[in-house]
Amino acid sequence: MALRELKVCLLGDTGVGKTSIVWRFVEDSFDPNINPTIGASFMTKTVQYQNELHKFLIWDTAGQERFRALAPMYYRGSAAAVIVYDITKEDSFQTLKNWVKELRQHGPPNIVVAIAGNKCDLSDAREVSEKDAKDYAESIHAIFVETSAKNAININEVFTEISKRIPVVDAAGGSSAKSIKLGRQVSESRKTCC
Amino acid sequence: MAAEDLPSEFDVVILGTGLAESVVAAACSRVGQRVLHLDRRSYYAANWASFTFNALLTWIQEQQEGPQPEQGKDWSSLLNDGEELIHLSNPDLDSITNIQVLSYASEEDEEVPDTAKEETSANSQLEAESTGSREEESAEAEEESAEAEATNTKGEEPEVDQSHPGASSGPSEPTRKKISYAQLLKEGRRFNIDLVSKLLFSRGSLVDLLIRSNVSRYTEFKNVTRILTYRHGNLQQVPCSRADVFASRQLSVVEKRKLMRFLTSCIEETEMDQAYSSQPYSKYLQDQQLGENLQHFLLHSIAMVTEDTPTEAGLASTRHFLRSLGRYGNSPFLFPVYGLGEIPQCFCRMSAVFGGIYCLRHSVSCLIVDKDANRCKAVIDSRGQRISCSHFVVEDGYLGSRSSVTTPTRLLSRAILITDSSVLPSDSEQQVSMVTIPPGEVCQSAVKMVELCSSTMTCMPGTYLVHLTCQSVGSAFEDLSQLVTKMFQTPESQEPGGRPSVLWSLYFNMADGSVPGVEGQGLPSNVHVCSGPEGSLDHEHSIKQAELIFQRILPDEEFCPPAPNPEDIIYDGESPTPSAEEDSVKEAGQQEESGGDLKEAGQQEESGGDLNPQLDQ
Repeated sequence: MALRELKVCLLGDTGVGKTSIVWRFVEDSFDPNINPTIGASFMTKTVQYQNELHKFLIWDTAGQERFRALAPMYYRGSAAAVIVYDITKEDSFQTLKNWVKELRQHGPPNIVVAIAGNKCDLSDAREVSEKDAKDYAESIHAIFVETSAKNAININEVFTEISKRIPVVDAAGGSSAKSIKLGRQVSESRKTCC
Repeated sequence: MAAEDLPSEFDVVILGTGLAESVVAAACSRVGQRVLHLDRRSYYAANWASFTFNALLTWIQEQQEGPQPEQGKDWSSLLNDGEELIHLSNPDLDSITNIQVLSYASEEDEEVPDTAKEETSANSQLEAESTGSREEESAEAEEESAEAEATNTKGEEPEVDQSHPGASSGPSEPTRKKISYAQLLKEGRRFNIDLVSKLLFSRGSLVDLLIRSNVSRYTEFKNVTRILTYRHGNLQQVPCSRADVFASRQLSVVEKRKLMRFLTSCIEETEMDQAYSSQPYSKYLQDQQLGENLQHFLLHSIAMVTEDTPTEAGLASTRHFLRSLGRYGNSPFLFPVYGLGEIPQCFCRMSAVFGGIYCLRHSVSCLIVDKDANRCKAVIDSRGQRISCSHFVVEDGYLGSRSSVTTPTRLLSRAILITDSSVLPSDSEQQVSMVTIPPGEVCQSAVKMVELCSSTMTCMPGTYLVHLTCQSVGSAFEDLSQLVTKMFQTPESQEPGGRPSVLWSLYFNMADGSVPGVEGQGLPSNVHVCSGPEGSLDHEHSIKQAELIFQRILPDEEFCPPAPNPEDIIYDGESPTPSAEEDSVKEAGQQEESGGDLKEAGQQEESGGDLNPQLDQ
């Protein structure tokens, strides 16, 4: 079965639950006291989709979003971006729109965008209506789901939807893809062929 | 987003995100120092930055408008007894000068039946010598494209649509589509245009550092595929590897044998003939009975030195070149995908992963110095917050007038061209070429030219991005435009011919960072100054500087030790996670296949010799 590595970058305000979503997806666990992301800024999980294996290489922001200093290199080569907001914080939804704009400027042209309204278990404190968010997501052709990393709601779905939207292996794209990874063995960097 | 307050205490505060500063940041965070890394600008990498086409136009505009005047606020209320202030300035004040933009691409999309008469339309609009008016135009055009972009967000695929009406209109006619200015703007984000032009020697200190620290994981590279030299008005390929030498058609059998013998003996590092210790390398080469051809290659393209360079230095450069050969491909050079601006960002990410805090558009207004100890105790940031620190690292530009008092400013001349074809067309459109142009023929100082193709992700498909650099004699335009007119097709070009057309070009001068710094000029002993980019092709200067600064800050710590794994913890779906952090780090290392084991990988590369297994497929 063909293995495809897909880089996914996480975006969104500090504290909306980016890392929790990845923890739930990768580890199926939840830690309410998770520290602002230090150290664990890269995780992988392999999922089968149809007759392919999708290995998600999930990059976390390493905290560089805290003062809006995310480097463009963070988006390079991403197949998908998961932009997270907190349904109990209107502000976080407003800045989501800035992240979308940022991505249009610096992200790869055909990046798949998924919007995750996290903390949907706290619907009592909801500030962002599901319909508004959904309408906005549709207007930018993004995947939209409300999630709860805490209660494991819709987390896998985000990534399944991403798998569905990833274009089938582009036959033409392979020719120019020969890049050199330093310090790694040659064979590894060419995994995606055949 | 509400502006969060910064913590008020750090070990190291770093101002400026150029290469040396970023390496220091990564190195300090890596060994557990609390690092605050700031840049006044809205982008990373200072004068090492790369820009999309549109962002470059904005940058040009900002440079031409000059910096915003800053109100000198009075911070003395934040001072305690025995403290005084050192004010910092805006780094953009004078590092970039003599900007000149010449756009030759037609404003609108147009279909041209053949290449022969393309220049006419461009000619008529070229008279705008005043860069000011052109700037307005480009600014307007930029707005338009921003609108276009906004509407595009609604469409699925912003790239593929309207740009190729020709495809449907006349598939039978072999037409070449001339790329318009509008297209450059529209595809603007496919460009990553570096302010500096350098390459990485495969065995240079930057490559070693990237591998050692595992920062290499954040980026990928392309091999420079060929080395060219300009001679008697023509471009020739320089044979440098064994394979090249044997395949070369320009060299006679005798020359081939001589060259191989010379290269082999050079690499063995035999004692240099003492007779040449005071003689230039060019004389040494002359006496090796190599012939004029080979001497030219060796002096200008392999050693890349001048006629007067001493023999010892010339031999060292030649060896450096030869040693780097074959590690990753057919030439000794690598170029980062998406441009050189990625490299400082990669080190910044490493710093962030280990807890470094990053703010852009955020500066330091002044330093608070303890008068008795002559040490910087704290800084006051641009928002008036007092932040204490044990060390302060700063890009020299922020010291402004302090640096230019004593040292005369030396400049680099730069030209950046977007062209429509390669200077030396070949079977493959995806060549990355390093071109050396010796002084004399068309330019006063030696020019280094790097031509990048679209697979380096620095320019849109169908174009090439050409960087020219030399030590300046006059302005960048005076130094380089004659060469550009000769090697490329511009409306100024006298003779027609199948040369690449220049669609757009930018000339500017940049301060040369190799000028001895301001270190020790009355600055507190714990203030460390990093210089900007200099004119050499490699990165040795900045990496050495970063290492020295790190050793001064932390004399007992290792510089960028092999990270267990840069991302620390890599959990794989299948395996349960060990609870202890240490364990998980180890495990992650093993799971990462051999990726973590650099030595092994290194040896494998080594055994590849100059056979370049990487690129052979």
